[in-house]
Amino acid sequence: MITTIARKEFAEIVRDGRFRWTAALVVLLLVTALLAGWQRYAAYSAVQAAAQGATNEQWLKQGDKNPHTAAHYGNYAFKPLGPLAFFDSGITSYAGTAVFMEAHKQNFAIGRPANDTSSIARFGELNGAMILQVLLPLLIVFLGFTAFAAERESGTLRQVLSTGVSRGSLLWGKALGLGAAVAVVVVPCLLVGGAVIAAAGLETAEEGMAARTALVALAYLLYAATFLFLTLAVSAWARNARAALMVMVGFWAFTAFIMPKAAGELAKAAHPSPAFGTFMAEMKAHQRRGIDGVSPFAKLGRYQGQLFRQYKVSRVEDLPLYWTAVRMQKLEEIDQPVFDLHYGKVRDTYLAQRRLQDRIGVVAPTLPLRSISMGLAGTDLVQQSRFMADAEAFRHDMVFKMNDYLSKAAVDLNGVNSASRFMIANEEVFAIVPPFRYEPPAFADVLAEQVPNFALLGAWLAAAVGLAVLATRRMDLEAR
Amino acid sequence: MYRLIMTHEARTLARTGSLWAILALLVAAIGFAAWSGARAVDRQVRAATDAATYEDGERARMRAETEAYAARVAASGGAYEFATVRHSPGEGPPQGTNAGAVGAETSVWIALPPTGLAALAIGQSDIQLNYLPVKMGTTLEMVKNLEIENPVSLQAGAFDIAFVIIFLLPIFILAITYDLLSSERERGTLAMILAHPVSLRALLASKIAARAGIVLAVALGLGLLALLAVGTALDAGETWARFAVWCVATVLYSAFWFALAVLVNVHGRGGSATNGTILAGAWLVLVVIVPTLVSLVATTVYPAPSRMDLVVAARDAQTAGELQMQQSLDRFYSDHLDYVPVGDQRAMDFLTLSQANAANIEKQLLPLYAEFREQMHRQQALVRRFQYFSPAIMMQLALNEASGTSAERYEDFLDQAFRFRTQWNDWFASRFLRREALRPADYDRFPRFEYAPEPLPAALGRAAPSLAGLLVALLVVAAIPAGGLRRYEVAAR
Repeated sequence: MITTIARKEFAEIVRDGRFRWTAALVVLLLVTALLAGWQRYAAYSAVQAAAQGATNEQWLKQGDKNPHTAAHYGNYAFKPLGPLAFFDSGITSYAGTAVFMEAHKQNFAIGRPANDTSSIARFGELNGAMILQVLLPLLIVFLGFTAFAAERESGTLRQVLSTGVSRGSLLWGKALGLGAAVAVVVVPCLLVGGAVIAAAGLETAEEGMAARTALVALAYLLYAATFLFLTLAVSAWARNARAALMVMVGFWAFTAFIMPKAAGELAKAAHPSPAFGTFMAEMKAHQRRGIDGVSPFAKLGRYQGQLFRQYKVSRVEDLPLYWTAVRMQKLEEIDQPVFDLHYGKVRDTYLAQRRLQDRIGVVAPTLPLRSISMGLAGTDLVQQSRFMADAEAFRHDMVFKMNDYLSKAAVDLNGVNSASRFMIANEEVFAIVPPFRYEPPAFADVLAEQVPNFALLGAWLAAAVGLAVLATRRMDLEAR
Repeated sequence: MYRLIMTHEARTLARTGSLWAILALLVAAIGFAAWSGARAVDRQVRAATDAATYEDGERARMRAETEAYAARVAASGGAYEFATVRHSPGEGPPQGTNAGAVGAETSVWIALPPTGLAALAIGQSDIQLNYLPVKMGTTLEMVKNLEIENPVSLQAGAFDIAFVIIFLLPIFILAITYDLLSSERERGTLAMILAHPVSLRALLASKIAARAGIVLAVALGLGLLALLAVGTALDAGETWARFAVWCVATVLYSAFWFALAVLVNVHGRGGSATNGTILAGAWLVLVVIVPTLVSLVATTVYPAPSRMDLVVAARDAQTAGELQMQQSLDRFYSDHLDYVPVGDQRAMDFLTLSQANAANIEKQLLPLYAEFREQMHRQQALVRRFQYFSPAIMMQLALNEASGTSAERYEDFLDQAFRFRTQWNDWFASRFLRREALRPADYDRFPRFEYAPEPLPAALGRAAPSLAGLLVALLVVAAIPAGGLRRYEVAAR
């Protein structure tokens, strides 16, 4: 029985003029978005790889100089993207793409693509994820809002039920038919996307690509099914078809447009994050007075005394280490907790904001879906923080290696203060710093972050199905 | 007759729950948007103050040291001398006597002040750093920093009043107009009304006028309230001129959507549900799809230059500059013979070197950066031409200009900042290279940045094409129904 109803529903939807137009639009946009996303991903990755290669080379070929000066020259880390970024570019345009790694200072990422593109780009980026998050639900609403309401208006609803069909099988049959009509539009496009991944040989490019893709697909399926059952519920419950349409379009605008922005504002109010000027002023003041209220210079004085006692000497000239280098390294270690505290606070605030936005998903299913999609595509905050952490670890190691080398190689310069006598190192010394490598977070960690979001989407679907069952059980058979 | 229908319409509307629900939503949305817009502007302004306060404090500390030193010198009768640069506490004259240390190790923060309407349309102001650190060094160093904010929120965009007007107001307008004629036809009342001496045109015009009157009065009234609540510089004529632009844009934009609803009502073959689907689709296409497509086409055809490439090129320039350090120092002194320290032909300290180096790097970098900016401007000018594809884009650009949060106003600020950087750099570099000791009184003579507000006509000139485009779109959409009205079937078949 259910399949018969499904077949009838499917045939009816597909024959309707609405289907042709909306389906054509969605297919056209989805294919365009996937191809454009692919082009953008390929272009970005080429530039990123070339830039990283070039700055690594520049580090080595920076010219003979003092190792500490070399650490000042530093290096850049450029953020690589995982292959699924072509489907969901996430925060890529709004996060920095490059980190300058230098002695004495931790830096924020710079080179945010959105700053260099026209303000028209603020309307959003056309990518596969955007189509599936925004247009797919509307397609479902457009194809499904008449499901019960139109039958009621034309009087066929009573007739159908009088033949002995249960309300339950009518609901499931209609759901199946509507689902099939949507699938006919979307699935071929996604196969094209999958073919692109396979053709480019990317299915093994990142850890757990197959599982990632499957989970992303599952999340979108839960989301689409939620909209499908909500549409059927509203169609059964509403007074007429146009009321059903109004309610569903309203809900769609609410979840897809209003809530992502509103949740952002609410999260910023709940967990305020400092602006650049405030951040810098607070951090520098903290750096000056010392993490624990003891000034860095007082700490350095104490440290020198400690070294003198350790080596049983009474003046810098007798130290077995080059004091200037030891002192600079000590200064790094004194500053590091201040950096970690302040940059860490910003990172934690962003993550707390993101989590709150996900929780607001209780009223808007687009929010948890957005997080799952970005998270699994590797274009999320988690990956950005990981990139920043890797860059900071690299900076720390680079500065340490240069200072450490200098402290051992220039012992004879202790106490010498001259512009003409200082240690000069060459490429061989610079090569003790291995090139920067970004290690994406483990798949299991990414997934763990998204478990609550999957639970939220699951709850949404359960609620939508429950509503649909309830609404069909109680629906009026005749127009009021 | 018009009056009679209009009052009747207004009364009927007032009794329907949906109008009140929609107006309540509009009030809530604008209230929330005003609150979040004010928070965003406040955050920017506070950050500019915090940064400036910290660095001014650093200079005040240096000045206090030079004052103490001057008093010591006066008491002991010694000479007031110039300190060499060092990075740890020590004996001798304080660092504040060294113009190089003051000019290169402290920054003066200069800010782009928000206009009175900044809280109404955040525009690009959330990603632009609206305050910049000026010190000796290179131009690129000055503009390398970004305003920081959660990228997830930046990507979603601000919930400001511009968003409510551009995205939500059309939905509200369409919600009360999509069944303007079709519902009366479906109920059979249309034929009855037209049996009276009323033309369809008059009926339609009155219905639209009643709705437009209510929506516009509420939207503009709320806009005014929002301006009074979260706007600044309310006593300046400029603020009100900007608000006038804002109102004109809102009226044109709303009128466009009303006209579109009339068009679909008059020409739509189906019933209310079909009209609703068509109008919802039109909203989706004009407000969401076309802007993203335009942005996609524009950035693909005219890609913005890559910052990554600029970083690499800048480092090449830096390396080249450093490799020639020795020569560059010679060249520097030969260009500035008057600066060669007396009796110390080869005197080098860290700052002299870095000064020579920075000047050298700046010389190599400026053309690169100029080219980068030019390419960006070209791209953005080309992209601006695509705005005519969607009233939403025209509206956004017009509101950004009216609120002073456009990329163009920021670029004007950058130009002023670059000129000031040169001034600041020259003031300190010349004194430093002459080894001229800074005295406490010199601290009052540092160059000061005075933001020269962009003349209002410049902003209006940039908003004009967008407003003209909106007007043309409105006229085109409003002109089409005229013909269809005569052939409109007043009874449902």
